[in-house]
Amino acid sequence: MATSAATSFLSRGSSGNNSNMRGLVQFIADLRNARARELEEKRINKELANIRYTRKAHFLMGLQGCLLTVIADGSLSGYHKKKYVCKLLYIYILGWNVDFGHLEAVNLISANKYSEKQIGYLAMTLFLHESHELLHLVVNSIRKDLTDHNELFNCLALHAIANVGSREMGEALSGEVHRLLISPTSKPFVKKKAALTLLRLYRKHPDIVQPQWAERIIALMDDVDMGVALSVTSLVMALAQDNPEQYKGSYVKAASRMKRILVDGEFAPDYLYYKVPCPWIQVKMLRLLQYFPPSEDTHVRDLIRESLQKILNLALEMPKNVQQNNAQNAVLFEAINLIIHLDTEQALMSQISTRLGKFIQSRETNVRYLGLEAMTHLAARAETLDPIKQHQSIIIGSLKDRDISVRRKGLDLLYSMCDSTNAQPIVGELLHYLQNADFAIREEMVLKIAILTEKYATDIQWYVDISLRLIAMAGDHVSDEVWHRVIQIVTNNEQLQVYAAQNILQYVKADHCHETLVKIGGYLLGEFGHLIAEDKGCSPIEQFLALQGKLQGCSSSTRAIILSSFIKFVNLFPEIKPRLMYVFQAYSHTLDSELQQRACEYLALASLPTDDLLRTVCDEMPPFPERQSALLSRLHQKHANTSDKRTWIVGGKDANANEKDMVKNPGLNRTLSTNGNGVPNGATNGTNGHAKVANDLAGLDMMDAGPSEPKTLKQPNLASTAHLSPGWEIGYNKLLLKGEGILYEDGQIQVGVRSEYRGQMACVILYFSNKAPVAVSSFTTTLDLDASEKGNLTWEVKGLPESTISQGSQSQQMIMFTAQNVFDKSPTIRISYLAGALQALTLKLPVTIHKFMDAAELTAEDFFKRWNQIGGAPREEQRVFGIKGSNREFNDSFIRKTVQGFRWGVLDGVDKNQKNFVGASVLHIGGGRKFGCLLRLEPNYAKQMIRLTIRATDESVPATMINLMEQRLAVGQSTQPEVFQPPTMREMSNVFGNVLVT
Amino acid sequence: MVLSFVLIQNRQGKTRLAKWYAPYNDEEKIKLKGEVHRLIAPRDQKYQSNFVEFRQNKIVYRRYAGLFFCVCVDANDNELAYLEAIHFFVEVLDSFFGNVCELDLVFNFYKVRWRCRTEMGRLAWEEEEKGLSDYHPALSPFSSCALHPEPSTPKSHISRITNNPTQVYAILDEVFLAGEIEETSKQVVLTRLEHLDKLE
Repeated sequence: MATSAATSFLSRGSSGNNSNMRGLVQFIADLRNARARELEEKRINKELANIRYTRKAHFLMGLQGCLLTVIADGSLSGYHKKKYVCKLLYIYILGWNVDFGHLEAVNLISANKYSEKQIGYLAMTLFLHESHELLHLVVNSIRKDLTDHNELFNCLALHAIANVGSREMGEALSGEVHRLLISPTSKPFVKKKAALTLLRLYRKHPDIVQPQWAERIIALMDDVDMGVALSVTSLVMALAQDNPEQYKGSYVKAASRMKRILVDGEFAPDYLYYKVPCPWIQVKMLRLLQYFPPSEDTHVRDLIRESLQKILNLALEMPKNVQQNNAQNAVLFEAINLIIHLDTEQALMSQISTRLGKFIQSRETNVRYLGLEAMTHLAARAETLDPIKQHQSIIIGSLKDRDISVRRKGLDLLYSMCDSTNAQPIVGELLHYLQNADFAIREEMVLKIAILTEKYATDIQWYVDISLRLIAMAGDHVSDEVWHRVIQIVTNNEQLQVYAAQNILQYVKADHCHETLVKIGGYLLGEFGHLIAEDKGCSPIEQFLALQGKLQGCSSSTRAIILSSFIKFVNLFPEIKPRLMYVFQAYSHTLDSELQQRACEYLALASLPTDDLLRTVCDEMPPFPERQSALLSRLHQKHANTSDKRTWIVGGKDANANEKDMVKNPGLNRTLSTNGNGVPNGATNGTNGHAKVANDLAGLDMMDAGPSEPKTLKQPNLASTAHLSPGWEIGYNKLLLKGEGILYEDGQIQVGVRSEYRGQMACVILYFSNKAPVAVSSFTTTLDLDASEKGNLTWEVKGLPESTISQGSQSQQMIMFTAQNVFDKSPTIRISYLAGALQALTLKLPVTIHKFMDAAELTAEDFFKRWNQIGGAPREEQRVFGIKGSNREFNDSFIRKTVQGFRWGVLDGVDKNQKNFVGASVLHIGGGRKFGCLLRLEPNYAKQMIRLTIRATDESVPATMINLMEQRLAVGQSTQPEVFQPPTMREMSNVFGNVLVT
Repeated sequence: MVLSFVLIQNRQGKTRLAKWYAPYNDEEKIKLKGEVHRLIAPRDQKYQSNFVEFRQNKIVYRRYAGLFFCVCVDANDNELAYLEAIHFFVEVLDSFFGNVCELDLVFNFYKVRWRCRTEMGRLAWEEEEKGLSDYHPALSPFSSCALHPEPSTPKSHISRITNNPTQVYAILDEVFLAGEIEETSKQVVLTRLEHLDKLE
């Protein structure tokens, strides 16, 4: 030890230029050898002195003008710099302060050697925190490494940002990080690090993630590399919590990947962790699914159900291996959370409630803990608490578990499973246990007991008895909110006042009485003491003596309360006024200015010749405003601080329900039951609202303004009509009149449609063919319909297209539509896939109201009879219109083809004018309803004008139908043969899009 | 789902590795280290769970002989997923610094007591006789070997590791990044680490 210490850093550095950094090794060995902290310190100081000396020597020798950059200068090799920084790092890691050498470390970042650069970055992440001023200097070096072609340098730079990235760094570099994430040339290592780095930056400053990135990021969840998929899922989880609408595409992705991993066994063998396929990604996906409301799509629900059932089946076997057991249970408990969240899977639900019963009795402490936690979640959501109540005795038993963590979970569960039927035994048990409970959980227990007592109080005495007993037992752990609440409730409930006053007096009279009870006593007797003054043992003088006896041992704030109750006594009980005056006189000489002021004022008030003012001042206190109990906010405040969205909170179903569908609790009366209603907004909305507790007696509404502002930024819905891809009309218009054909085609993809309509139902099959020279991945489709049409046209997706479509092959998707009502707008579909870069298009599906019509045959007589029956507006619509565009015309065959294409039965020979068209059809919509529709079209070929009249038995039909037909007819038929046109730039880029990196 | 910090401490409360994912200042860091030690160390291994509430978060921890591996996670995070993440990390360390003991022995640690020492980059497992729980480091054959590393023989893994006291941090960054689990395939991590290790 001594030998190495004596050798200076520089000399060792220059002599031993081997790659082992012998000096460093020796230094570390010396430090390990140091048995005591003092020896370690001595050795370190010596080393630091050496290092400083080295720096100084350089300075004095004039090698470098600036002390701080001495190491950066050319006289020391990268190796020496590295060793020097390594030593500093080691000293730092041991917990010693290193306040110099930071710049040298930072300079190493720009080294060309990997090992030097790596040490530089490491030092930077350890020495510098995110607001360190030196970070400004490294932004450019980091940018350089991010754009370097060496992926190792990319990774180092990403590590640095992921460790110390600040808002400023995010603003400067998030574009580069994003580019690395999505670039098709990025290696999996770079991608996964970029995803997590972006997540870090997003957490620092959400605005750096731009809304238009969403689709591309979601597509990466399909990456074949499980590490990338895992990291991207973490990123999506954070983003989806804040922008569920924008990231809703991740729901289907998670559901289908889960199924592929679990049911189809689609994962690399490397990712099998003790026979469980990547438990971490499973857990993340199961959690992500809980951030969204349950899907309405039956196919997606099936996928999820299948995966969940598989997880439950796998968990039936209890592996002996600890790791496998843990990994399996990690997935199982997350699956249970999802099942509870879905709330509709009755079959799965009944399976888990029996299993949870076993878990809470498990011999493994971890399993008991998790079982209780899951059961608390169940209690927060379940329709009935019966399956939980049957385990009540075991749950109460868990309060005596050897592990405080389990005891806490037991307490949470008891609190959540409490209702009016079991409140008395549960509260009794909790009170009993409170006496021996850990200090760490007493305050929470007191809060919970107080809340339950108030919420489920069915008789007056029980509430008063329990509340006072609670305070007597756990006085020191009673937060102010608890005794404030007792006073509030007693004041607001007339029927409680006498009983409460009698009881509190008994407590105050006792020799030992907790100060909190004295406070309540002071307040309640001052207000309601006169109500019991006639009772035995409760005479004014006895009340006075009880309070006075406690005056000495109390804190100043309690004394103040007692002085106030005494001035009230002056008003209520004039017979004991002299004794009260004596107290005021005594306190008018106290040095506590607050008390002195009170005493003087009260003395003056009581000495006035008339008691008019006294009466006004000591009038009854007004009832407290009805507000949310401070107790709940106090409780939730304890759980508010989490960066993750809580999908549920500890408490019964009503605590988790929205305020709208709140069921009023049957309580003692309205006032008593108010605290069961509603829950801090921040908690239900999961936006980490911070409930603020104010501490004044009257301000019992302790709620903050509510949840933090939701993001108001309107996210673009890329699947909507507003984002239709250029060129969508060609196929759409063709398919308006046909059941099958090509909807869209470009250089990479062809979308074909086949459809069949029967009554109000339509079966539409979409065919996606990959024309690109490579396989496309993360193939995703999303259907959308204008909000105004929701309910008019519904659909069920019968399957999802394959995620990966290899070159030249095809995938399909079947969708069943049902026309519930006449609808105006057609659904749209967003198709996205990765072919190098993200490709996406939005198309309108040729699903329109006329497709649900069947042509009808009518005789001339019938036609005109019905035509007249229907009559004019509102069941008639008429339009007169001409041709649009030049070189186009109306002619007989065009009109006939179009009218038939709209699924009208063309009735020949009905109209006297042979040129006119007359048609009839029956429209089928939901509920088996049928509407008769009639059409009359009168063309004027000379003027190229058309008069179109549509009548229908329902007034919703004509306007919609006529719009559709007019649009289509007005186009007319071209009078010129097709001319060849060279491809446009866009077509070119479509064709080559898959080979160009964008 | 996010880690606030990772701590590796011995039974005396000396921190062997600390990685902070949330912005704590130096004072807070010292306080946290102490609090975590006082919270975890007295807990019973047999009758108590691997989870404990800590401030507004919770600590998920696992003890490997004399060392506590602790991670601080959100109150509603999946406990077991992190418990196994710890184990995964330990396995990576063990494989990387390798040959100190056989892997299968490590996994059967409930049969044999194992003692694990991590001192900045050096992580080693060693067998301990049953009943030697209060065993002094200086008496250990291993620690004497560690005190006299042989820097002249680069093949010795001990010297390789001590030469890079910062390696554990680099390994940590391959397994956890930005407070999230980054990679869960041991093969992928190890291949990468071997590759990085060879670089100049």
